[in-house]
This record gives sequence, structure tokens and C-alpha cells, in this order.
Amino acid sequence: MRAVISVQQLTRTYGAHVALDSVSFEIGKGEVVGFLGPNGAGKTTTLRILAGYLPPTSGTARVAGFDVVRDSIEVRQRIGYLPESVPLYRELRVEEMLRFHARLHGMDRARTERRIGAVLEQVQLTERRRDLVGNLSRGLRQRAGLATALLPEPEVLILDEPTSGLDPIQRIEVRSLLQQLASHHTVIVSSHILPEIEAVCPRVIIVTKGRIAADGTREQLLKQLGDRSYVRLEAVVGPDVAKAKALLGSIAGVSEVLDKGRLGIHQCFDLVCSTDLREDAGAIAAARGWALRELSWRTPSLEQIFARIALGDGEALPSSALDGAQPAQAASAAPVELSPLVTLGPTTPTMPAKPPAPTKIVYNLNPFDAGAGRDLGKPKAVDAPKPPTNP
Amino acid sequence: MRGFLAIYRRELGGIFMGPLAWTLLVIAYALQGLLFLVYLKTSQGDVDLALRFAFGESWAFWALAALFPPLLTMRMISEESRMGLLEYLLTAPVTDVAVVLGKFCAATTFMALVWSAGLLHALLVMRAGVTPDWGAVWGGWLGAVLVSGLFCATGLCASSFTNTPVVAAFGSIVAHLLIVILPLLGALTESEWIRAAIARVDVVDHHKASFLVGVVDSAYAGFFLVWTALFLFVATRSLEARRWR
Repeated sequence: MRAVISVQQLTRTYGAHVALDSVSFEIGKGEVVGFLGPNGAGKTTTLRILAGYLPPTSGTARVAGFDVVRDSIEVRQRIGYLPESVPLYRELRVEEMLRFHARLHGMDRARTERRIGAVLEQVQLTERRRDLVGNLSRGLRQRAGLATALLPEPEVLILDEPTSGLDPIQRIEVRSLLQQLASHHTVIVSSHILPEIEAVCPRVIIVTKGRIAADGTREQLLKQLGDRSYVRLEAVVGPDVAKAKALLGSIAGVSEVLDKGRLGIHQCFDLVCSTDLREDAGAIAAARGWALRELSWRTPSLEQIFARIALGDGEALPSSALDGAQPAQAASAAPVELSPLVTLGPTTPTMPAKPPAPTKIVYNLNPFDAGAGRDLGKPKAVDAPKPPTNP
Repeated sequence: MRGFLAIYRRELGGIFMGPLAWTLLVIAYALQGLLFLVYLKTSQGDVDLALRFAFGESWAFWALAALFPPLLTMRMISEESRMGLLEYLLTAPVTDVAVVLGKFCAATTFMALVWSAGLLHALLVMRAGVTPDWGAVWGGWLGAVLVSGLFCATGLCASSFTNTPVVAAFGSIVAHLLIVILPLLGALTESEWIRAAIARVDVVDHHKASFLVGVVDSAYAGFFLVWTALFLFVATRSLEARRWR
């Protein structure tokens, strides 16, 4: 497969801030690739460099064999780039905007009219072609922007956050549109929302802090980064937990048993294994007469991997987002889940620091404590030790 | 010069789609019409002198020339940059030079239209029975267009420096007023070489001494073209520098 886009050691700095740190990847013809990363990870910078808008500080990027800096015009001729802000002339009508774009691309009149009809049909804006761009809703404007990007039949389609700011219905529309496009173009889509990417792109490149943290298909990523699938067993095992643990560990295929603690009378275990061993674990529970509360087969989702990578690099992802993504995971279990990642990725991820304990403000309402004139509304002291109370 | 024509057409369309252009045109035509009557009276019927007033001998001409171009060019780059449209234009297969030139030519075309009021007056005078010196009229018009071209270039340059249209307009209006009153400032000094230096860059005099009297001298045209090109070059570079910021 010939690489349509090839990026080598791409670095871009804004002053002292390193937005991209020697990023390299290749994208073949007809591939649909999702750029995934938290905000500020360097997605937009990468796409802007590919689109010929920003020059890289160092490194090279080639699109269809042309260098984005040296043969910028050739590159721009071959890409359809839609920035996140969807810049369109608000005072133009949709078809006028498309005509202007066609003129910029040097398309002749017959082809222009033919293509305008085709792309408007494609994005379902045919009835709105006479509307002013400024009067379109966000979703329609997004579609108009897509139509503009598609107009000159570009080899490569670069879409920066095409679903941001859209309502769920519009998202689904854009998503299905992208799925249609995938068959005709090489497409790069960026997003910070995983399901968007997962739904459209077979290949995902995860970027954090200006580096590529992971690159591959969904299955590859799961295999590469999230091979710790496990069977969770929660049951009443009686007083001898160690024995139960050893028993479970004896199941063929279980590489490790993690004691997840006790909840009331129920003991929770995670049986790390590569295949689904629920039946074996269930058989043991049945033979021992353990009252089962939970027996489930869990494989880490891409969402989890993404959250891990984002978190692992110290990215400020609120833990509530993690919990929301995986409601079954107890918050206390998260650090254990994170540990296997230490060996993964180009950078060594570090655990997110524990949030500092909230500062304690002591309001002492005893008016005799520090003189009667004291302002009771103000805290007496911050983190002050409590005065000894009378026995 | 890929895309120049497309950008020129769009910018011209952009100018005329807003209310600003029409307001400016109405003001310019009404003002020039009224002033032409005044000029005719002051010149006691000397049509050529009156037209010379209209095309550069009067303060009104220089006021219009200094104030209008910044109003046209102030939004051309700064606003587009703020709306993200610059990202669109600079990722389209057009060169930065084409972008700047297209915008510049659109603004200058509008200014040519503003100065056409003088041509109209000459035509009216001819209908009334007095044939004006057409060479001087066309020369004056061409000079006026060149002067506005220079001011459009400085305006565009200012617009490329900032993201706030008002700042761009203010900056270039101040610059234009300075350029216009430069000869007056020069007259204040005793120093001979400062005067000589000012005479070299005196826009007002370069217009009056040649075009206004109907002499299209290549040296004088070159003066305007070179300065215009310089400011356009700076504007292009500044546009390019935005990529690096």
C-alpha cells in the first residue's frame, strides 16, 4: 500500500510550548484514520501542518508525495481541509461559497456546476443551496463546510473535530456521512470523543502531549495495550479467603488472582486470564457452594485504554469521567488497573497525583475564645489544632 | 498568480455586499459634487482649475484619500483572521501573494470608483459646453487612483498586523494623515537635508507635480508603484508570519 501521507519526526513548537514532539506515522491510500486525544494534545497542530497552514518547526510531512512546505500549493490542491471552526463566508449563499471554492481550485465552469450538484446532494443541502451561510444552523454549516471540502474531489480529506458543537442527531448524521466518504477518500478525522472515532475509523492514532501514544486498529490497540482481561467473581466464600484465592488460581489459564476486597459478606476476586473462564470459575463456586453475586467476563474497552493513556501522561482528566466510562469499576480499583500500563507507550506514564487534601477552615463560634471583640464571621485560624476540651 | 481573480471578485463582492461601501459612495459622491460647485465658483469658471481642485489640489481630496482606504481594508485581513477564514484561504491552493493582491486590487477598484465622480463632473461640464483638458482629467484620475492604491496598501499592511479591525483602521488613518501633512512639517524645519529627504517621499507633491497637470511621468508612477509594492510585500510577509505565530 502506497503511503499517501507520510510524516517523519514532525515537531512543532509555539514559543517554549512543544505542541508536537517528533511525531511519525504513515497513512495509506484509502485508509480512514482517527486522531484521538484530549484537548491540547496536538491534533489540530498536526492537521494544520498536513493542510499546509502551519509550517513544522522540524521534520517532514508529505502528502501524495509532495512536501507540505516546499510544494505547499500541490498539497493544498489535493486535500480537502475542514478546520474545526468551519470557516465560511457568512455573507455568501451556499452555492456561491462553493463556486468561490471551485474558482480557488481552478475548476472549470461545467465541472463546478456538476460537482456543486453532487456534493450538495451528498450532504443533503440541495434545498438550502440558496440560503446565506450565516443563516444556517451549526449542523447545516458543518455540512456546508464538508461540501466545500469535498468539492474538488480531494485525494485526502482532513477534518478537524467535525462533530464538535453538534447535537446528538447531527452527530449521527455527520458520522454516517463520514462513513460514506470513507469509501472514496483517504480520510483523517480528529476528535477528543472516542465513540465518534470508533464508529468511523478502523485505525486510531492516539495522541497525548504532542506524542503518539498508540497507533493501530481497534483490535491491535486492545491487544497491545489492554491485554489484561479478567473474570470477576464476587461470592460468599467463607472465612478462608486465601484458600479460595488459591483454589481459583488453580484454574488452568488463570495467570493471576487479584483480591479486590470484601464487601459485607461477599469477597471479590479478579481472575486474570486471556480467555473467558467464567464457566470454570462458576463450576468451582458451585462445587464449593459459594453464593455467587457476580460472575462476569471483562475486557478493557478502547475507551478505558484512551482514558488510561490520557491519565497516564498526567493529563487532567477528571476521575469522574473515568468512572462514568466504566461504572462497574470501583474508584479504589483504578490504580491497580492502571499499573500494567507502566511498560506501555513511548513515554513512561506516571500515576496521577492524589488530589491535595482540602484545606480545612475552622470556624470557632465560641465568642469567649479569643476575646469578645472577635469577628465571628471570620475563620479563627486555618488548620488550627482544636483547643483541648474540658473533660 | 493562482486564485488572484477569484479572491479579487469575492473581495469586491464582499465590499459591495455590506452597507459600508454604499454609505461611503453616497458620502463621496455628494461631497465631491457639492465641492465641485464650490471649486467652480472659487476658480471663477475655470473648469480645469476646478477639476484640479477635485483631483488633488484641495484638502477635501486628501481627507477622502486618507480616510476611505483604511475603512475598506481594515477588515480584510484582521477580521478574516479572527473568523478563521484566513485558515481557509491559506489552505486553499492559492499563494499568499494572490490573497494580498486580490484584496488590495478590490479596495483600489472601489477607490477608483470613488474618484470617478471627478470624471463624471468633467463629462457634465463638457455637456454644458466647456471642454475640459481631458489629458489633465485622466491624469488626475490616474494619480488619485495611484495615491489611493498606496493608501490601500498601507491599510492592508496595518490590517495584517492586528486582529482588531478598529486598531488597523486607526493605525493606518494616523499613518495617512502623517503622510499628507509631511510637507507641512517639512516646511517648519530650517535644515536643508531634511527638506530634501521629505521631498523625496512627499506623496502629495508627487501627485500634484505630475499627474494633476496631465503629465504621466514614469518616474512619478514608479514612485507610487514601488511604495505600494513595498507595503504589499510587508503585508504578504506579515500574513506569512501569522503561520509561525
